[in-house]
Amino acid sequence: MEMFLQLILNGAVVGSTYAVVALGFTLAFTVLRVINFAHPEIFMIGMFGGLAVASYTDSLWLALLGGALVAGIAGIILERLIIRPLYNRDVLMTLIATLGVGIVLQNGMAVVVGPDAVSFPALLPRGGVEVGLLSLSYKQLFNFAVCISILGVISGYVRLTLWGKATQAVAERPGVAAVFGINVARISQVTIVAASALGGIAAVSVGTLYGTASAYVGVLYGLKSFVCMLVAGNRYFEGVIVVAFGLGILEALVTGYLSSGLRDAVAFSVLIGVLLLRPQGLFGSYTAKV
Amino acid sequence: MTAVLSIRDLQVSYGAVPAVRGVDLELHKGELRVILGANGAGKTTILKALLGLQKATSGSVQFDGRPILGMTPQQINKLGISWVPEGRQLWSNLSVYDNLLLGGFGVADKAVRRREIERMLERFPLLRQRSRQLAGSLSGGEQSLVAVARALISQPRVLLMDEPSLGLAPLMVKQIFDLVQEVNAAGVSILLVEQNARQALQVADWGYLLENGAIVTQGSAADLSQSSTVQDVFLGGSI
Repeated sequence: MEMFLQLILNGAVVGSTYAVVALGFTLAFTVLRVINFAHPEIFMIGMFGGLAVASYTDSLWLALLGGALVAGIAGIILERLIIRPLYNRDVLMTLIATLGVGIVLQNGMAVVVGPDAVSFPALLPRGGVEVGLLSLSYKQLFNFAVCISILGVISGYVRLTLWGKATQAVAERPGVAAVFGINVARISQVTIVAASALGGIAAVSVGTLYGTASAYVGVLYGLKSFVCMLVAGNRYFEGVIVVAFGLGILEALVTGYLSSGLRDAVAFSVLIGVLLLRPQGLFGSYTAKV
Repeated sequence: MTAVLSIRDLQVSYGAVPAVRGVDLELHKGELRVILGANGAGKTTILKALLGLQKATSGSVQFDGRPILGMTPQQINKLGISWVPEGRQLWSNLSVYDNLLLGGFGVADKAVRRREIERMLERFPLLRQRSRQLAGSLSGGEQSLVAVARALISQPRVLLMDEPSLGLAPLMVKQIFDLVQEVNAAGVSILLVEQNARQALQVADWGYLLENGAIVTQGSAADLSQSSTVQDVFLGGSI
């Protein structure tokens, strides 16, 4: 029983990082109808931005800020140069263009830092908290707190602020939103940049969690986020958070009880099964085009 | 009378397919004019061109003597044109209140926006009761009220209404047409698009009959009700 609970805890920590990346992915898709395959690579860029700051300053908070800045600026450039010119074009066009940007970022970073994982400075103390037989390291706790805060900030923004509500309006009916005076281009820009910057913060937190950074870290996160988004559907963007946590926990359980080699196979089989039964996603999707 | 909206030789195509072929249309201050036409006649396309949602191929549209073709929907909204879209098109995942709030997104003054929302909730007590419910959970008739209220928050001078009575029960249809008249009486010029010719001609000042993207006949509502073309097409031979 303790093992089961411990695995659930570990899985929730991992799931929270999936959730942040997947939410950025989903926001781009629901709000802009854009499958932004550069998003996971912006996450990766943010991780190295944080790493650079951390190596010079040894400050956790400056590293988080650095990650946010680097990823946010990358988001601004991506939106202005790639996504906006292709807005309202076929979804495949932005998919291919952002995929291309992602490949350039990934390989560019591999040229700069090398193809192998490099170590991420330890910015948090060793040790952790134990409750009974369960334990969480400080790194895990910190990562979890960062991710939950990011999810809370995004959710609060979208649900409670006027601009957030306008973002939902653009997601459901961009044309109607425009007629009522909502600047669809500005909303799209804010969405991409905010998702990028918050992804950058999460990336730094993930770097400290595992103690490594790699030019290829985005591949894994991109694939998982994409699948989480498909499984959740785009009607309620919080749905992807639920699915991402589920995926993290499922992976932890498979690793703990079966084998780490089966982790991805089982996780993706379950996700594919869900899609077969509910192609519109667990929480439904918008079909309206106007 | 001065034309608040004046359309000259408007042409709109979807790719190579012409949808609107040279339409001339005027709306005077305080008037209620109706465009009658069957499905696919081009009624909705005209409204979308006026709103900046659909690019016109050629022609001109003047609002208060100012050309508006080529403006963004946002700019047109600021000038004072609002919309009750076909099928209502509420933001189904947002509450009734938030739908009204976003209806006033283009209103710069927060206090004005709040006052107008309050005025609508006062006018439609049902919407006040339902203000926290998701708009998508409302009945068709209730959604129509929200769509009209949402369009009025920005205090438009011209309201474009696209088949507001479509799909509603007869009693509700009457209520909606009463509401259209009430809004018009309050000074909002209305361009109404309808298939329900009988009801529309009862409330309208002037009517246009649109067929295959062109206006085939027009006249005062009283004359059109008697016109044999309109009777044949819409009114089942006689009133």
